Amino acid sequence: MAGVWILGENREQSFELLNAGRKLASRMGTTLAAFLWNDHNPAEEYISRGADKVLLLPPLPEDQSEDAYIPVIAEEAQKEDPDIILVAATLRGKQIAARVAARLNTGLCSECMALNFNEESSAVEMERLVYGGMAIQKVTCATRPVMATIPPRTFEPASEESGREGATLELHAPAPSFVKVLERKQKEREAEDITESRVIVCVGRGVEKKEDMALARDLSGVLGGEIGCTRPISEEMHWLSEELCIGLSGISVKPELYIGVGVSGQVQHVTGIRDAKLICAVNTDENAPIFDAADYGIVGDLYDVVPKLIDEVKKQTE
Amino acid sequence: MLSIAACFKWVVDEEYIRAGSSGELDFRSVNYKISDYDRNAIEEAVRIKEKYGGSVTAITIGAPDARKGLKDALSRGPDKAYFVNDESFKNLEPSQTAAILADVTGSKIEHDLVICGEGSSDLYTQQVGPRLAERLGMPCISFIQKLTIEGRQIIAERKVENGVEVTAAPMPALVTVLPEINTPRIPGVKDTLMASKKEVVNITKDELSQTYEPTLLTTGMTATSMERSCVKFGREPQDITMFVEALIKEGVIK
Repeated sequence: MAGVWILGENREQSFELLNAGRKLASRMGTTLAAFLWNDHNPAEEYISRGADKVLLLPPLPEDQSEDAYIPVIAEEAQKEDPDIILVAATLRGKQIAARVAARLNTGLCSECMALNFNEESSAVEMERLVYGGMAIQKVTCATRPVMATIPPRTFEPASEESGREGATLELHAPAPSFVKVLERKQKEREAEDITESRVIVCVGRGVEKKEDMALARDLSGVLGGEIGCTRPISEEMHWLSEELCIGLSGISVKPELYIGVGVSGQVQHVTGIRDAKLICAVNTDENAPIFDAADYGIVGDLYDVVPKLIDEVKKQTE
Repeated sequence: MLSIAACFKWVVDEEYIRAGSSGELDFRSVNYKISDYDRNAIEEAVRIKEKYGGSVTAITIGAPDARKGLKDALSRGPDKAYFVNDESFKNLEPSQTAAILADVTGSKIEHDLVICGEGSSDLYTQQVGPRLAERLGMPCISFIQKLTIEGRQIIAERKVENGVEVTAAPMPALVTVLPEINTPRIPGVKDTLMASKKEVVNITKDELSQTYEPTLLTTGMTATSMERSCVKFGREPQDITMFVEALIKEGVIK
């Protein structure tokens, strides 16, 4: 059957991948198929958003997890020989993709942030970040199918088109996996979602005590923003939720204004603020890497500078 | 007796990479290190051994100059190390690394439990652990934050998008660990001295059952550019005023 296949963990991710997949399928003159699991919505929703075929993965028993689907997906790929498989780069998705790629003995571009079909070479050119976000690695796949995991929100969701038609195919129920689920613990959100915040004041290691974070909160308060943090603040000090940890292993943010307070600017953190419109920083060390990544910086002690900054913002915006 | 294998990679410390003027990467003054999360993998292997008994084997693949990493790894508690090395193993892509690890682990190393870091700090593809499990035909639990052993099975708390799944799998099994699973110990002088006395098994390319071709080809590598103005202000009152004026002019303060 060939074609482009997509696999998302939920509806939103699937719609985004349908958008990416539709573009590729059109340029390659082939079809687009979507796996559907974990989603009680009808296959027609996928078809109206670009899928020519929907591959239904049957529901799993209570003690099974999505890894049971891996043999089914790999078998289907061996049978149908797709050109490309795109998987949402969630924790589950990354495991599925790597293990399916191993079964198919093919290459996989992890956390692909751009992909393009080159008509001349017939290669899918893909880009990803390496060295903590320091560099972009460009890759192609030497084997079939081309596989990539794509972080959620890399693409806009595909829009609905009326009158589209497609087929559905129910895949067979998987054999039980050796991995059994004993318990599922839902995690409640502990903090505000700051991925779409307009202003973010970020707390770094330069803040000495937990209660001193009040300075950052006050500054974000006068700017109408939220606070975020670097990895040590959430992972080592446990002062803030990991949901507020900005960087390669945390969240990516794109505020109009980012102000790092006592943030040194390790490359992994800077990768998470790459899309900020304006990056500012307050740090005592004038050689801190954050100043190379910042538009405006203040070299000074945050305990001295931040209160003055709060007063000055109040004064100028009165 | 529980046989635990911990995989690690000896990598460039990314903090030392410089970007050249035309976007090329300058590796001239780099240091090397054990990949960050592989330290958690080694630590977890040693903790499991300390709690349940058994032995820990550390395994790495690389060019011959990655030998420097062995002493560092062994000072963190493993009993012995396997060093699979060849000049051509310098820039392996994940399917090759996993295939070579499986080749060696499958034929030469006792393994009830294989522990990998969730991803390496250089390429961070997060593929080697899951691919290795497939190659060895073992159950795989990825991105775990807690691990215990009950008889012949492992119990692992696995992080997923909306929470945690507590999962069980029969051994032999493979897990990949998140950094929050533990805090790696800092080796002391005595640990370093003891590390020099531990056995290192050298494996060369011709001892592998076959060669492994790359499936993913790197066609370019460029520094990410951060086009930023890099204007610095001092801490004097007039600086603070100018700073806030600049932000208002940029339209980011309303």
